[in-house]
Amino acid sequence: MSPGSASASAAVQLSVRNIHKSFTGKGAGVRVLDGLNFDIHEQDFVSIIGPSGCGKSTIFNIIAGLIEPDEGRLVYRGEEVASLRGRVGYMMQKDLLFPWRTVLGNVLLGLEMRGVSYRAAVERAREHLEAFGLGGFENAYPKTLSGGMRQRVALIRTLVMDPGILLLDEPFSALDYQTRLYLEGVLKQAVEKFHKTVVLVTHDIDEAVALSKRVVVLSGRPARVKAVHDIEIAEHSPIAARSDHRFAGYFRTLCNELDIQTETKSAAESATRFAPAGPTEAVAS
Amino acid sequence: MSVITAEKPQGLQSRRRRPDKRKRSLFNTTIGRAFLQALAVAALLVLWQAGVRFGVISDFLFGAPAGIYATFMRMAGSGELLSDTGYTLFEAILGFVIGTFFGSIAGLALWYSIFVARLVEPFIVAINSVPKIALAPIIILWFGTGLVSKVALAVSLTALVALIAAYQAAKDADTDLQALLISMGANKHQIFYKAVVPSTIPSIIATFRINIGFGLVGAVVGEFISSQHGLGHLIYNASSFYDLNTVWVGLFALMLVGFALYYVIDLIERMLIPWKVVTVTHQVQV
Repeated sequence: MSPGSASASAAVQLSVRNIHKSFTGKGAGVRVLDGLNFDIHEQDFVSIIGPSGCGKSTIFNIIAGLIEPDEGRLVYRGEEVASLRGRVGYMMQKDLLFPWRTVLGNVLLGLEMRGVSYRAAVERAREHLEAFGLGGFENAYPKTLSGGMRQRVALIRTLVMDPGILLLDEPFSALDYQTRLYLEGVLKQAVEKFHKTVVLVTHDIDEAVALSKRVVVLSGRPARVKAVHDIEIAEHSPIAARSDHRFAGYFRTLCNELDIQTETKSAAESATRFAPAGPTEAVAS
Repeated sequence: MSVITAEKPQGLQSRRRRPDKRKRSLFNTTIGRAFLQALAVAALLVLWQAGVRFGVISDFLFGAPAGIYATFMRMAGSGELLSDTGYTLFEAILGFVIGTFFGSIAGLALWYSIFVARLVEPFIVAINSVPKIALAPIIILWFGTGLVSKVALAVSLTALVALIAAYQAAKDADTDLQALLISMGANKHQIFYKAVVPSTIPSIIATFRINIGFGLVGAVVGEFISSQHGLGHLIYNASSFYDLNTVWVGLFALMLVGFALYYVIDLIERMLIPWKVVTVTHQVQV
């Protein structure tokens, strides 16, 4: 396996090896993934960023077992597997709460699939709801909750199954900025408390830097790994991480890597948002 | 400047309008509306009776409210009306339940196999395009003139409606929810029971409303063709004797039955899909 990254001591949990995938549309097929390789370590927090439409979600669908790759292997804890179906916690931009189930019923979903006894499942679900500040909302239907609360329920539903890897596909991108910051914090705390491995697909560079230990940058379609960056920000909270002195540097590096050519200037500007504001910025706005 | 002056009278106007609205809302309550509705019915009956009295409306062809009332009292007193209503109600409900139940089950089951669904689709369309009432003579031949033929006719009217609606709803079930279940390790049965079936419940209940009416149609048409009992029998017989007052009693009884069944369905809906009813208390007013 490829050693490469700085955290050499961490064991590899999941290896994605040489994954190819193309979709047959009208006429010529579209090559989405073209020999994709990367490793996820135990208790890793990896963000995957790349130009939109480069096939980030396709990778997740392959790992979760929703679609099959044309070619390539997945190696999970030393064992070659077809997919991680049943062992992942998948969370998407849409909360995907079942409208006919109450909050409690939604959280129970994964445990039901696993055949956990009802009583044990309810107890576990209640504990989690309590821990995430949703005690008392057990019998509410999703329709009556705010967007942030719904996504928090989705997060609890994902965590309560105790999955091997959390696959988060732009989970917060439909939320307003304050709710997003809050939920990023909730996620980070939960992940550290339960020692979870997270793979986060995001289009939000700032979110990627603030949350991750490592960031994988993909090229445009067909997607290949362009670079892997270790993020060495000691701060644990996503808000504190944003004011770390290295934050702006990482942000700029990643922006340049994504070839945001015409917007390089504005990207650099938004990076300085987090540095002490100069008088020029006031004039510019 | 002009903007400010233009705004001022508007503000005044809306303030003046408010007590006006409050006055109107006196009728816009449950009791107020019931009063207006009863008033409309009473006015119609009075006009009808007066028309007959002054020779504008033919008593022979249209009947008269006073005569309808007298007939109603006689038939209700003898228990004749109640027993006929009971027959029709029983046939309609039985046909509705059997047709809707098996139709829905069959429609949901088609979700399991796209192959089978595509195979049977042209047959379903073909059978559905036949006006089911046209089957009535054969059904009477096959099932006799008793209860079974009426129920069978009601089933033939309701089953395909339920089947098509249930299949369509199963096809339209949110694929993202199904994908989520797959990622959790669900098999096809679990996807069916936990995602597909619950998401079809609202559509299936929507077909209840349509099918309860079709159940009544089946029962009444069956009774028209050949029967000893039921409101259809009552209406058909009375009309062949030009006994319009009795016809009207039968029609009003049917109306009441349909009305009552509609509200029963409403109640069932509230019990079965509380997650949907929660927010439907307020309608957007334009």
